[in-house]
Amino acid sequence: MDETTVKIKAFIVEEFMPDVSPDELEDDFDLLTGGVVDSLGLLKVVAWLEDEFDIGVDDSELGPDSFRTVAAIKEYVDQARPTANAE
Amino acid sequence: MSQTTIRSLADHFADQVERQPDAPALIWDGEPISYAELKGLADAAYDEIESARLPDDRPVGIRAKKSPEAIALVLACLRAGKSFLLPSIELAPETLAQLFAQAGVSQVLSPHGPRSQSAASLRALVDDTRADPETAGSEWPPAGGGDDVTFMLTTSGSTGLPKIVPLPASGVDAFTDWAADQFEIRPGTVVTNYAPLNFDLCLLDIWTTLKHGGCVALVDQDRATQGAYLAELVNQNQVGVVQAVPMLYRLLLDVHREDGRTFPSVRHVITTGDKIPPSTLAELPNLFPNARFYNIYGCTETNDSLIHEFQGLAEGNVPSNVPVGQPIPGVIVRVQSEDGTPLEGTGTGEFMVWTPFQTRGYLKSSLNAEKFVAVEDDAGHTYYKSGDIVRRHEDGTLTLEGRADFYVKVRGVRVSTQVVEQAIQEHPAVVEVAVIAVPDELAGARLHATVRREPDVKLNSLILRQHCATRLARTEMPSTILIVTEPLPKTSTGKVDRKAVAAELERSRANG
Repeated sequence: MDETTVKIKAFIVEEFMPDVSPDELEDDFDLLTGGVVDSLGLLKVVAWLEDEFDIGVDDSELGPDSFRTVAAIKEYVDQARPTANAE
Repeated sequence: MSQTTIRSLADHFADQVERQPDAPALIWDGEPISYAELKGLADAAYDEIESARLPDDRPVGIRAKKSPEAIALVLACLRAGKSFLLPSIELAPETLAQLFAQAGVSQVLSPHGPRSQSAASLRALVDDTRADPETAGSEWPPAGGGDDVTFMLTTSGSTGLPKIVPLPASGVDAFTDWAADQFEIRPGTVVTNYAPLNFDLCLLDIWTTLKHGGCVALVDQDRATQGAYLAELVNQNQVGVVQAVPMLYRLLLDVHREDGRTFPSVRHVITTGDKIPPSTLAELPNLFPNARFYNIYGCTETNDSLIHEFQGLAEGNVPSNVPVGQPIPGVIVRVQSEDGTPLEGTGTGEFMVWTPFQTRGYLKSSLNAEKFVAVEDDAGHTYYKSGDIVRRHEDGTLTLEGRADFYVKVRGVRVSTQVVEQAIQEHPAVVEVAVIAVPDELAGARLHATVRREPDVKLNSLILRQHCATRLARTEMPSTILIVTEPLPKTSTGKVDRKAVAAELERSRANG
Protein backbone atom coordinates (compact mmCIF):
# COMPACT_ATOMS: atom_id res chain seq x y z
CA MET A 1 0.00 0.00 0.00
CA ASP A 2 1.42 3.38 -0.93
CA GLU A 3 2.21 5.98 1.66
CA THR A 4 -0.62 8.37 0.78
CA THR A 5 -3.25 5.65 1.18
CA VAL A 6 -1.77 4.60 4.52
CA LYS A 7 -1.85 8.18 5.77
CA ILE A 8 -5.44 8.73 4.62
CA LYS A 9 -6.65 5.53 6.24
CA ALA A 10 -4.83 6.30 9.47
CA PHE A 11 -6.44 9.73 9.63
CA ILE A 12 -9.97 8.58 8.86
CA VAL A 13 -9.83 5.72 11.31
CA GLU A 14 -8.39 7.84 14.07
CA GLU A 15 -10.83 10.66 13.51
CA PHE A 16 -14.06 8.78 12.78
CA MET A 17 -13.69 5.10 13.76
CA PRO A 18 -11.24 4.79 16.65
CA ASP A 19 -12.30 1.19 17.29
CA VAL A 20 -11.23 0.03 13.82
CA SER A 21 -7.74 -0.85 12.65
CA PRO A 22 -6.62 1.06 9.49
CA ASP A 23 -5.93 -2.08 7.45
CA GLU A 24 -9.58 -3.14 7.84
CA LEU A 25 -10.73 -0.11 5.92
CA GLU A 26 -11.02 -1.09 2.26
CA ASP A 27 -9.92 1.39 -0.40
CA ASP A 28 -13.36 1.34 -1.99
CA PHE A 29 -15.50 1.44 1.16
CA ASP A 30 -18.17 4.08 0.69
CA LEU A 31 -17.50 6.51 3.51
CA LEU A 32 -20.62 8.57 2.84
CA THR A 33 -23.16 5.79 2.54
CA GLY A 34 -21.53 4.11 5.51
CA GLY A 35 -22.08 7.26 7.53
CA VAL A 36 -18.38 7.47 8.45
CA VAL A 37 -17.96 10.92 7.00
CA ASP A 38 -20.89 13.31 6.89
CA SER A 39 -20.89 16.82 5.49
CA LEU A 40 -19.27 18.20 8.64
CA GLY A 41 -16.75 15.37 8.68
CA LEU A 42 -15.94 16.18 5.08
CA LEU A 43 -14.77 19.65 6.13
CA LYS A 44 -12.41 18.04 8.64
CA VAL A 45 -11.04 15.76 5.93
CA VAL A 46 -10.45 18.68 3.59
CA ALA A 47 -8.71 20.76 6.27
CA TRP A 48 -6.45 17.83 7.03
CA LEU A 49 -5.67 17.19 3.37
CA GLU A 50 -4.70 20.82 2.84
CA ASP A 51 -2.49 20.73 5.87
CA GLU A 52 -0.94 17.29 5.44
CA PHE A 53 -0.28 17.36 1.69
CA ASP A 54 0.07 21.07 1.32
CA ILE A 55 -2.56 21.29 -1.36
CA GLY A 56 -5.35 23.74 -1.93
CA VAL A 57 -8.87 22.43 -2.21
CA ASP A 58 -11.20 24.57 -4.21
CA ASP A 59 -14.64 24.81 -2.62
CA SER A 60 -16.20 24.14 -5.98
CA GLU A 61 -14.54 20.73 -6.00
CA LEU A 62 -16.16 19.73 -2.75
CA GLY A 63 -18.60 17.39 -4.43
CA PRO A 64 -19.33 14.24 -2.48
CA ASP A 65 -17.87 11.96 -5.14
CA SER A 66 -14.31 13.30 -4.82
CA PHE A 67 -14.13 12.05 -1.27
CA ARG A 68 -16.48 9.08 -1.26
CA THR A 69 -13.78 6.43 -0.77
CA VAL A 70 -10.17 6.24 0.35
CA ALA A 71 -9.24 5.50 -3.28
CA ALA A 72 -11.06 8.65 -4.44
CA ILE A 73 -9.34 10.80 -1.84
CA LYS A 74 -5.95 9.40 -2.84
CA GLU A 75 -6.67 10.11 -6.48
CA TYR A 76 -7.61 13.67 -5.60
CA VAL A 77 -4.40 14.14 -3.64
CA ASP A 78 -2.32 12.66 -6.46
CA GLN A 79 -3.84 15.00 -9.00
CA ALA A 80 -3.49 18.01 -6.73
CA ARG A 81 0.26 17.50 -6.38
CA PRO A 82 1.51 15.74 -9.51
CA THR A 83 5.14 15.93 -8.40
CA ALA A 84 4.48 13.83 -5.32
CA ASN A 85 3.40 11.00 -7.57
CA ALA A 86 6.65 10.99 -9.49
CA GLU A 87 8.88 10.77 -6.43
CA MET B 1 -78.73 0.34 34.30
CA SER B 2 -75.12 0.51 35.35
CA GLN B 3 -75.88 -1.97 38.13
CA THR B 4 -76.65 -4.77 35.68
CA THR B 5 -73.64 -3.89 33.51
CA ILE B 6 -71.23 -3.92 36.42
CA ARG B 7 -72.29 -7.40 37.36
CA SER B 8 -72.27 -8.71 33.87
CA LEU B 9 -69.02 -10.66 33.95
CA ALA B 10 -69.78 -12.04 37.42
CA ASP B 11 -73.28 -13.00 36.34
CA HIS B 12 -71.99 -14.79 33.28
CA PHE B 13 -69.55 -16.72 35.43
CA ALA B 14 -72.38 -17.68 37.79
CA ASP B 15 -74.38 -18.89 34.77
CA GLN B 16 -71.50 -21.10 33.69
CA VAL B 17 -71.18 -22.54 37.20
CA GLU B 18 -74.85 -23.48 37.11
CA ARG B 19 -74.73 -24.83 33.57
CA GLN B 20 -71.57 -26.93 33.82
CA PRO B 21 -70.33 -27.15 37.42
CA ASP B 22 -68.00 -30.05 36.75
CA ALA B 23 -66.41 -28.69 33.59
CA PRO B 24 -62.83 -27.44 34.03
CA ALA B 25 -62.56 -23.67 34.39
CA LEU B 26 -58.81 -23.59 34.97
CA ILE B 27 -55.82 -25.84 34.56
CA TRP B 28 -53.16 -25.06 37.13
CA ASP B 29 -50.00 -27.02 37.71
CA GLY B 30 -51.34 -29.89 35.62
CA GLU B 31 -54.60 -30.16 37.59
CA PRO B 32 -58.07 -29.11 36.42
CA ILE B 33 -60.14 -26.83 38.65
CA SER B 34 -63.86 -27.08 37.89
CA TYR B 35 -66.29 -24.18 37.65
CA ALA B 36 -67.83 -25.31 40.97
CA GLU B 37 -64.42 -25.40 42.65
CA LEU B 38 -63.48 -21.98 41.32
CA LYS B 39 -66.81 -20.65 42.57
CA GLY B 40 -65.95 -22.09 45.98
CA LEU B 41 -62.69 -20.11 46.04
CA ALA B 42 -64.48 -16.98 44.80
CA ASP B 43 -67.22 -17.32 47.43
CA ALA B 44 -64.62 -17.51 50.21
CA ALA B 45 -62.92 -14.36 48.92
CA TYR B 46 -66.32 -12.66 48.56
CA ASP B 47 -67.23 -13.44 52.17
CA GLU B 48 -63.95 -11.98 53.31
CA ILE B 49 -64.54 -8.78 51.34
CA GLU B 50 -68.09 -8.48 52.68
CA SER B 51 -67.06 -9.07 56.28
CA ALA B 52 -64.33 -6.43 55.99
CA ARG B 53 -67.11 -3.82 55.52
CA LEU B 54 -65.07 -1.80 53.08
CA PRO B 55 -66.45 1.62 52.15
CA ASP B 56 -68.79 1.31 49.18
CA ASP B 57 -67.47 4.22 47.21
CA ARG B 58 -63.78 3.31 47.19
CA PRO B 59 -61.95 0.83 45.00
CA VAL B 60 -59.71 -1.88 46.34
CA GLY B 61 -56.20 -2.79 45.31
CA ILE B 62 -55.28 -6.32 44.31
CA ARG B 63 -51.72 -7.42 44.73
CA ALA B 64 -51.59 -10.90 43.35
CA LYS B 65 -49.41 -13.16 41.34
CA LYS B 66 -51.30 -15.31 38.88
CA SER B 67 -52.98 -18.28 40.60
CA PRO B 68 -56.50 -19.77 40.87
CA GLU B 69 -56.88 -17.91 44.18
CA ALA B 70 -55.95 -14.62 42.51
CA ILE B 71 -58.51 -15.22 39.77
CA ALA B 72 -61.09 -16.07 42.44
CA LEU B 73 -60.29 -12.79 44.17
CA VAL B 74 -60.98 -10.84 40.97
CA LEU B 75 -64.25 -12.78 40.52
CA ALA B 76 -65.19 -11.86 44.09
CA CYS B 77 -64.54 -8.16 43.45
CA LEU B 78 -66.63 -8.36 40.28
CA ARG B 79 -69.46 -9.97 42.23
CA ALA B 80 -69.20 -7.37 44.99
CA GLY B 81 -69.39 -4.63 42.35
CA LYS B 82 -66.06 -3.18 43.46
CA SER B 83 -63.63 -1.33 41.24
CA PHE B 84 -60.20 -2.82 41.66
CA LEU B 85 -56.72 -1.71 40.73
CA LEU B 86 -54.65 -4.63 39.49
CA PRO B 87 -51.04 -3.52 39.03
CA SER B 88 -47.98 -5.61 38.22
CA ILE B 89 -46.52 -7.31 41.26
CA GLU B 90 -43.09 -6.73 39.77
CA LEU B 91 -43.28 -3.02 40.53
CA ALA B 92 -41.19 -1.59 43.34
CA PRO B 93 -43.13 -1.37 46.66
CA GLU B 94 -42.81 2.43 46.52
CA THR B 95 -44.38 2.53 43.06
CA LEU B 96 -47.16 0.15 44.07
CA ALA B 97 -47.93 2.28 47.11
CA GLN B 98 -48.06 5.41 44.95
CA LEU B 99 -50.47 3.74 42.54
CA PHE B 100 -52.73 2.44 45.28
CA ALA B 101 -52.73 5.87 46.87
CA GLN B 102 -53.52 7.56 43.57
CA ALA B 103 -56.49 5.25 43.10
CA GLY B 104 -57.64 5.98 46.64
CA VAL B 105 -58.03 2.30 47.50
CA SER B 106 -59.56 1.46 50.85
CA GLN B 107 -57.71 -1.82 51.16
CA VAL B 108 -55.03 -3.82 49.39
CA LEU B 109 -56.18 -7.41 48.98
CA SER B 110 -54.03 -10.45 48.43
CA PRO B 111 -55.32 -13.93 47.66
CA HIS B 112 -53.96 -15.28 50.90
CA GLY B 113 -55.95 -12.94 53.06
CA PRO B 114 -55.55 -9.28 53.91
CA ARG B 115 -53.37 -10.17 56.87
CA SER B 116 -50.45 -11.29 54.75
CA GLN B 117 -47.37 -9.32 55.58
CA SER B 118 -46.75 -7.74 52.22
CA ALA B 119 -50.31 -6.51 51.94
CA ALA B 120 -50.18 -5.09 55.45
CA SER B 121 -46.97 -3.22 54.83
CA LEU B 122 -48.32 -1.85 51.58
CA ARG B 123 -51.45 -0.71 53.32
CA ALA B 124 -49.27 1.14 55.77
CA LEU B 125 -47.57 2.83 52.85
CA VAL B 126 -50.91 3.75 51.34
CA ASP B 127 -52.10 5.23 54.61
CA ASP B 128 -48.89 7.14 54.78
CA THR B 129 -50.63 10.25 53.38
CA ARG B 130 -49.06 9.78 50.01
CA ALA B 131 -52.52 10.16 48.61
CA ASP B 132 -52.63 12.13 45.39
CA PRO B 133 -54.79 15.19 46.03
CA GLU B 134 -56.10 15.14 42.48
CA THR B 135 -57.47 11.61 42.54
CA ALA B 136 -57.79 10.62 46.17
CA GLY B 137 -59.49 13.74 47.46
CA SER B 138 -63.07 13.96 48.53
CA GLU B 139 -64.37 14.01 44.99
CA TRP B 140 -64.61 10.38 44.06
CA PRO B 141 -64.81 9.10 41.40
CA PRO B 142 -62.36 11.19 39.37
CA ALA B 143 -62.68 11.72 35.62
CA GLY B 144 -61.81 8.27 34.33
CA GLY B 145 -63.52 6.38 37.14
CA GLY B 146 -67.20 5.88 37.70
CA ASP B 147 -69.54 3.42 39.29
CA ASP B 148 -69.51 1.21 36.23
CA VAL B 149 -65.76 0.67 36.37
CA THR B 150 -64.54 -2.77 37.35
CA PHE B 151 -61.01 -3.44 36.13
CA MET B 152 -58.41 -0.74 36.64
CA LEU B 153 -55.22 -1.76 34.86
CA THR B 154 -52.06 0.22 34.41
CA THR B 155 -49.86 1.14 31.48
CA SER B 156 -46.40 -0.38 31.45
CA GLY B 157 -44.92 2.87 32.70
CA SER B 158 -41.86 2.90 30.47
CA THR B 159 -41.61 6.58 31.29
CA GLY B 160 -42.34 7.44 34.91
CA LEU B 161 -45.18 6.20 37.08
CA PRO B 162 -47.54 3.78 35.29
CA LYS B 163 -50.86 5.40 34.42
CA ILE B 164 -54.06 3.95 35.85
CA VAL B 165 -56.57 2.95 33.18
CA PRO B 166 -60.13 2.39 34.46
CA LEU B 167 -62.18 0.18 32.14
CA PRO B 168 -65.95 0.63 32.00
CA ALA B 169 -67.79 -2.67 32.45
CA SER B 170 -69.66 -2.09 29.19
CA GLY B 171 -66.35 -2.01 27.33
CA VAL B 172 -65.15 -5.21 28.97
CA ASP B 173 -68.50 -6.81 28.15
CA ALA B 174 -68.35 -5.81 24.48
CA PHE B 175 -64.74 -6.91 24.15
CA THR B 176 -65.20 -10.32 25.75
CA ASP B 177 -68.14 -11.01 23.41
CA TRP B 178 -66.14 -9.99 20.34
CA ALA B 179 -63.18 -12.16 21.37
CA ALA B 180 -65.34 -15.22 22.06
CA ASP B 181 -66.99 -14.91 18.69
CA GLN B 182 -63.77 -14.26 16.76
CA PHE B 183 -61.78 -17.12 18.29
CA GLU B 184 -64.61 -19.61 18.88
CA ILE B 185 -64.22 -19.60 22.67
CA ARG B 186 -67.04 -21.65 24.19
CA PRO B 187 -67.60 -24.65 26.51
CA GLY B 188 -64.90 -27.18 25.69
CA THR B 189 -62.41 -24.64 24.31
CA VAL B 190 -59.06 -24.56 26.11
CA VAL B 191 -57.22 -21.22 25.96
CA THR B 192 -53.69 -20.66 27.24
CA ASN B 193 -53.00 -17.65 29.38
CA TYR B 194 -49.37 -16.65 29.00
CA ALA B 195 -49.45 -13.02 30.19
CA PRO B 196 -49.24 -12.00 33.84
CA LEU B 197 -52.62 -11.40 35.51
CA ASN B 198 -52.35 -7.59 35.37
CA PHE B 199 -51.96 -7.48 31.56
CA ASP B 200 -54.84 -6.35 29.35
CA LEU B 201 -54.25 -9.55 27.34
CA CYS B 202 -55.99 -11.44 30.16
CA LEU B 203 -59.28 -9.84 29.12
CA LEU B 204 -59.08 -12.19 26.17
CA ASP B 205 -57.47 -15.33 27.47
CA ILE B 206 -58.81 -15.46 31.04
CA TRP B 207 -61.94 -13.32 31.27
CA THR B 208 -63.44 -14.03 27.85
CA THR B 209 -62.90 -17.74 28.45
CA LEU B 210 -64.50 -17.84 31.91
CA LYS B 211 -67.41 -15.74 30.71
CA HIS B 212 -68.10 -18.12 27.85
CA GLY B 213 -67.59 -21.41 29.64
CA GLY B 214 -64.19 -22.44 28.30
CA CYS B 215 -61.12 -23.53 30.21
CA VAL B 216 -57.99 -21.45 30.85
CA ALA B 217 -54.64 -23.26 30.95
CA LEU B 218 -52.63 -20.92 33.16
CA VAL B 219 -48.93 -20.53 32.54
CA ASP B 220 -47.04 -20.29 35.81
CA GLN B 221 -45.10 -17.00 35.76
CA ASP B 222 -42.08 -18.70 37.30
CA ARG B 223 -41.85 -21.13 34.40
CA ALA B 224 -42.80 -18.78 31.56
CA THR B 225 -39.41 -19.10 29.86
CA GLN B 226 -39.21 -22.92 30.00
CA GLY B 227 -39.95 -24.21 26.52
CA ALA B 228 -40.48 -27.84 27.55
CA TYR B 229 -43.02 -26.85 30.22
CA LEU B 230 -44.91 -24.62 27.79
CA ALA B 231 -44.96 -27.27 25.06
CA GLU B 232 -46.31 -29.82 27.53
CA LEU B 233 -48.99 -27.41 28.74
CA VAL B 234 -50.26 -26.82 25.20
CA ASN B 235 -50.30 -30.45 24.14
CA GLN B 236 -51.49 -32.20 27.29
CA ASN B 237 -54.46 -29.89 27.62
CA GLN B 238 -55.45 -29.92 23.95
CA VAL B 239 -55.21 -26.14 23.83
CA GLY B 240 -57.27 -24.57 21.03
CA VAL B 241 -56.38 -20.88 21.34
CA VAL B 242 -52.98 -19.34 22.05
CA GLN B 243 -52.44 -15.62 22.51
CA ALA B 244 -48.96 -14.43 23.39
CA VAL B 245 -46.07 -12.12 22.73
CA PRO B 246 -43.59 -13.41 20.13
CA MET B 247 -41.33 -14.81 22.85
CA LEU B 248 -43.66 -17.74 23.53
CA TYR B 249 -43.51 -18.77 19.90
CA ARG B 250 -39.74 -18.59 19.86
CA LEU B 251 -39.62 -20.84 22.94
CA LEU B 252 -42.00 -23.38 21.36
CA LEU B 253 -39.96 -23.19 18.17
CA ASP B 254 -36.84 -24.22 20.06
CA VAL B 255 -38.68 -27.29 21.35
CA HIS B 256 -39.92 -28.06 17.84
CA ARG B 257 -36.40 -27.88 16.43
CA GLU B 258 -35.11 -30.18 19.15
CA ASP B 259 -37.65 -32.98 19.00
CA GLY B 260 -39.90 -32.18 16.05
CA ARG B 261 -42.92 -31.66 18.27
CA THR B 262 -45.99 -29.96 16.81
CA PHE B 263 -49.17 -28.58 18.37
CA PRO B 264 -52.03 -29.92 16.27
CA SER B 265 -54.86 -29.08 18.71
CA VAL B 266 -54.37 -25.31 18.31
CA ARG B 267 -56.89 -23.64 15.98
CA HIS B 268 -56.14 -19.96 16.60
CA VAL B 269 -52.67 -18.47 17.11
CA ILE B 270 -52.52 -14.81 18.06
CA THR B 271 -49.33 -12.81 18.25
CA THR B 272 -49.46 -9.43 19.94
CA GLY B 273 -47.57 -6.89 21.99
CA ASP B 274 -44.38 -6.84 19.97
CA LYS B 275 -43.14 -7.13 16.41
CA ILE B 276 -42.82 -10.78 15.47
CA PRO B 277 -39.57 -11.50 13.61
CA PRO B 278 -40.25 -12.81 10.07
CA SER B 279 -38.07 -15.86 10.80
CA THR B 280 -40.38 -16.86 13.68
CA LEU B 281 -43.50 -16.06 11.68
CA ALA B 282 -42.37 -18.25 8.78
CA GLU B 283 -42.09 -21.30 11.05
CA LEU B 284 -45.46 -20.96 12.79
CA PRO B 285 -47.29 -23.28 10.34
CA ASN B 286 -44.76 -26.02 11.15
CA LEU B 287 -45.55 -25.64 14.84
CA PHE B 288 -49.32 -25.34 14.46
CA PRO B 289 -50.36 -27.35 11.40
CA ASN B 290 -54.12 -26.79 11.94
CA ALA B 291 -54.23 -23.17 13.02
CA ARG B 292 -55.18 -19.79 11.65
CA PHE B 293 -52.73 -17.01 12.45
CA TYR B 294 -53.39 -13.44 13.55
CA ASN B 295 -51.55 -10.34 14.58
CA ILE B 296 -53.47 -8.13 16.99
CA TYR B 297 -52.76 -4.47 17.64
CA GLY B 298 -54.00 -2.86 20.81
CA CYS B 299 -53.08 -1.15 24.04
CA THR B 300 -54.41 -0.96 27.58
CA GLU B 301 -56.26 2.31 26.97
CA THR B 302 -58.33 1.09 24.01
CA ASN B 303 -57.96 -2.68 24.26
CA ASP B 304 -57.56 -4.47 20.92
CA SER B 305 -58.35 -2.31 17.94
CA LEU B 306 -56.96 -3.98 14.80
CA ILE B 307 -56.61 -7.57 13.68
CA HIS B 308 -54.66 -9.00 10.77
CA GLU B 309 -55.09 -12.59 9.68
CA PHE B 310 -52.07 -13.99 7.86
CA GLN B 311 -52.91 -15.74 4.62
CA GLY B 312 -50.65 -18.35 3.07
CA LEU B 313 -47.92 -18.43 5.73
CA ALA B 314 -47.45 -22.15 5.04
CA GLU B 315 -46.88 -21.35 1.36
CA GLY B 316 -44.07 -18.97 2.30
CA ASN B 317 -46.15 -15.82 2.08
CA VAL B 318 -44.36 -14.11 4.99
CA PRO B 319 -44.58 -10.32 5.12
CA SER B 320 -41.36 -8.65 6.32
CA ASN B 321 -43.39 -5.79 7.71
CA VAL B 322 -46.57 -7.13 9.31
CA PRO B 323 -49.68 -5.07 8.50
CA VAL B 324 -51.42 -3.86 11.66
CA GLY B 325 -54.66 -5.10 10.15
CA GLN B 326 -58.30 -4.22 9.84
CA PRO B 327 -60.40 -2.47 12.48
CA ILE B 328 -62.31 -4.81 14.77
CA PRO B 329 -66.07 -4.26 14.24
CA GLY B 330 -67.09 -0.95 15.80
CA VAL B 331 -63.55 0.45 15.86
CA ILE B 332 -62.84 3.75 14.10
CA VAL B 333 -59.34 4.59 12.87
CA ARG B 334 -57.82 7.93 11.99
CA VAL B 335 -54.31 8.51 10.66
CA GLN B 336 -53.31 12.05 11.44
CA SER B 337 -50.67 14.04 9.57
CA GLU B 338 -48.22 16.27 11.37
CA ASP B 339 -50.44 19.28 10.73
CA GLY B 340 -53.39 17.67 12.52
CA THR B 341 -55.47 16.86 9.46
CA PRO B 342 -56.45 13.32 8.48
CA LEU B 343 -53.91 11.75 6.14
CA GLU B 344 -55.29 11.38 2.63
CA GLY B 345 -53.81 8.61 0.50
CA THR B 346 -50.39 7.17 1.16
CA GLY B 347 -47.82 8.43 3.65
CA THR B 348 -47.15 8.38 7.37
CA GLY B 349 -48.99 9.79 10.34
CA GLU B 350 -49.93 9.13 13.92
CA PHE B 351 -52.37 6.30 14.51
CA MET B 352 -55.46 7.45 16.39
CA VAL B 353 -58.33 5.21 17.32
CA TRP B 354 -61.69 4.98 19.01
CA THR B 355 -62.87 1.58 20.19
CA PRO B 356 -66.09 0.43 21.87
CA PHE B 357 -63.88 -1.05 24.59
CA GLN B 358 -61.84 1.96 25.54
CA THR B 359 -61.37 3.79 28.82
CA ARG B 360 -62.96 7.18 29.36
CA GLY B 361 -59.53 8.42 30.33
CA TYR B 362 -56.75 7.92 32.82
CA LEU B 363 -57.75 8.06 36.45
CA LYS B 364 -55.51 11.07 36.88
CA SER B 365 -57.36 13.45 34.60
CA SER B 366 -54.47 15.88 34.16
CA LEU B 367 -52.82 13.18 32.02
CA ASN B 368 -55.69 13.02 29.57
CA ALA B 369 -55.41 16.18 27.52
CA GLU B 370 -52.46 15.05 25.46
CA LYS B 371 -53.61 11.46 24.84
CA PHE B 372 -57.38 11.72 24.40
CA VAL B 373 -58.70 14.18 21.88
CA ALA B 374 -62.18 14.91 20.64
CA VAL B 375 -62.21 15.01 16.88
CA GLU B 376 -64.81 16.92 14.97
CA ASP B 377 -66.05 14.15 12.76
CA ASP B 378 -69.45 12.62 12.17
CA ALA B 379 -69.28 10.40 15.21
CA GLY B 380 -67.92 13.05 17.59
CA HIS B 381 -65.86 10.43 19.40
CA THR B 382 -62.91 10.96 21.68
CA TYR B 383 -59.92 9.38 20.01
CA TYR B 384 -56.88 7.92 21.69
CA LYS B 385 -53.56 9.15 20.36
CA SER B 386 -51.53 5.98 20.25
CA GLY B 387 -48.15 7.61 19.76
CA ASP B 388 -47.49 5.05 17.03
CA ILE B 389 -46.50 6.28 13.61
CA VAL B 390 -48.05 4.19 10.83
CA ARG B 391 -47.56 4.14 7.09
CA ARG B 392 -50.50 3.81 4.72
CA HIS B 393 -49.55 1.90 1.59
CA GLU B 394 -51.06 2.11 -1.87
CA ASP B 395 -53.38 -0.82 -1.19
CA GLY B 396 -54.65 0.91 1.95
CA THR B 397 -52.92 -1.37 4.47
CA LEU B 398 -51.22 0.18 7.47
CA THR B 399 -47.86 -0.88 8.87
CA LEU B 400 -46.08 0.32 11.99
CA GLU B 401 -43.17 2.68 11.51
CA GLY B 402 -42.30 3.23 15.15
CA ARG B 403 -43.16 5.31 18.18
CA ALA B 404 -43.72 9.03 17.72
CA ASP B 405 -41.58 9.56 20.83
CA PHE B 406 -38.61 8.09 19.01
CA TYR B 407 -38.68 10.51 16.11
CA VAL B 408 -35.91 13.07 16.05
CA LYS B 409 -34.81 15.60 13.46
CA VAL B 410 -31.36 15.06 12.01
CA ARG B 411 -30.33 17.79 9.61
CA GLY B 412 -33.97 18.66 9.19
CA VAL B 413 -35.07 15.12 8.35
CA ARG B 414 -37.39 13.12 10.59
CA VAL B 415 -35.63 9.95 11.69
CA SER B 416 -36.90 7.17 13.94
CA THR B 417 -34.25 5.95 16.34
CA GLN B 418 -36.25 2.72 16.57
CA VAL B 419 -35.75 2.04 12.88
CA VAL B 420 -32.01 2.52 13.34
CA GLU B 421 -32.00 0.23 16.37
CA GLN B 422 -33.83 -2.47 14.45
CA ALA B 423 -31.33 -2.34 11.59
CA ILE B 424 -28.37 -2.63 13.96
CA GLN B 425 -30.11 -5.35 15.96
CA GLU B 426 -30.34 -7.48 12.83
CA HIS B 427 -26.58 -8.00 12.86
CA PRO B 428 -25.95 -11.46 14.38
CA ALA B 429 -23.13 -10.24 16.65
CA VAL B 430 -25.35 -7.61 18.29
CA VAL B 431 -26.93 -8.48 21.65
CA GLU B 432 -28.66 -5.16 22.29
CA VAL B 433 -28.52 -1.60 21.14
CA ALA B 434 -29.61 1.88 22.13
CA VAL B 435 -29.77 4.67 19.60
CA ILE B 436 -30.08 8.16 20.98
CA ALA B 437 -30.12 11.65 19.55
CA VAL B 438 -27.28 13.81 20.79
CA PRO B 439 -27.90 17.56 20.53
CA ASP B 440 -25.60 19.15 18.00
CA GLU B 441 -25.19 22.82 17.31
CA LEU B 442 -24.92 22.42 13.57
CA ALA B 443 -27.01 19.39 12.77
CA GLY B 444 -29.72 19.92 15.39
CA ALA B 445 -29.21 16.35 16.49
CA ARG B 446 -26.80 13.60 15.61
CA LEU B 447 -27.41 9.94 16.16
CA HIS B 448 -25.30 7.90 18.50
CA ALA B 449 -25.48 4.13 18.90
CA THR B 450 -24.23 2.20 21.89
CA VAL B 451 -24.05 -1.44 20.89
CA ARG B 452 -23.42 -4.46 23.08
CA ARG B 453 -21.79 -7.24 21.11
CA GLU B 454 -21.72 -10.98 21.73
CA PRO B 455 -18.60 -12.04 23.59
CA ASP B 456 -15.79 -13.56 21.51
CA VAL B 457 -16.96 -12.20 18.18
CA LYS B 458 -15.42 -9.50 16.10
CA LEU B 459 -17.51 -6.41 15.73
CA ASN B 460 -16.43 -2.86 15.16
CA SER B 461 -18.05 0.29 13.86
CA LEU B 462 -16.86 -0.39 10.31
CA ILE B 463 -18.50 -3.81 10.21
CA LEU B 464 -21.71 -2.30 11.59
CA ARG B 465 -21.63 0.53 9.10
CA GLN B 466 -21.25 -1.91 6.25
CA HIS B 467 -24.19 -3.88 7.66
CA CYS B 468 -26.35 -0.76 8.00
CA ALA B 469 -25.44 0.79 4.65
CA THR B 470 -27.92 -1.41 2.79
CA ARG B 471 -30.62 -1.00 5.42
CA LEU B 472 -30.61 2.65 6.37
CA ALA B 473 -30.81 6.01 4.68
CA ARG B 474 -27.83 8.34 5.02
CA THR B 475 -29.62 10.49 7.58
CA GLU B 476 -30.42 7.39 9.63
CA MET B 477 -26.78 6.32 9.92
CA PRO B 478 -25.38 6.98 13.42
CA SER B 479 -22.61 9.57 13.52
CA THR B 480 -20.90 7.76 16.34
CA ILE B 481 -20.96 4.11 17.35
CA LEU B 482 -19.71 2.80 20.67
CA ILE B 483 -19.28 -0.94 21.03
CA VAL B 484 -19.33 -2.46 24.50
CA THR B 485 -19.50 -5.93 26.03
CA GLU B 486 -21.28 -5.19 29.28
CA PRO B 487 -25.12 -5.11 29.46
CA LEU B 488 -26.82 -1.80 28.69
CA PRO B 489 -28.73 -0.09 31.51
CA LYS B 490 -32.36 -1.25 31.83
CA THR B 491 -35.63 0.29 33.00
CA SER B 492 -37.78 -1.35 35.67
CA THR B 493 -39.68 -3.18 32.92
CA GLY B 494 -36.48 -4.65 31.52
CA LYS B 495 -36.23 -2.50 28.44
CA VAL B 496 -33.03 -0.74 27.42
CA ASP B 497 -32.93 2.58 29.25
CA ARG B 498 -31.98 5.09 26.56
CA LYS B 499 -31.93 7.99 28.99
CA ALA B 500 -29.35 6.22 31.12
CA VAL B 501 -27.33 5.39 28.00
CA ALA B 502 -27.39 9.08 27.04
CA ALA B 503 -26.34 10.10 30.54
CA GLU B 504 -23.44 7.64 30.47
CA LEU B 505 -22.32 8.97 27.13
CA GLU B 506 -22.41 12.53 28.39
CA ARG B 507 -20.39 11.58 31.46
CA SER B 508 -17.73 9.83 29.42
CA ARG B 509 -17.47 12.80 27.06
CA ALA B 510 -17.22 15.23 29.94
CA ASN B 511 -14.34 13.15 31.27
CA GLY B 512 -12.62 13.42 27.93
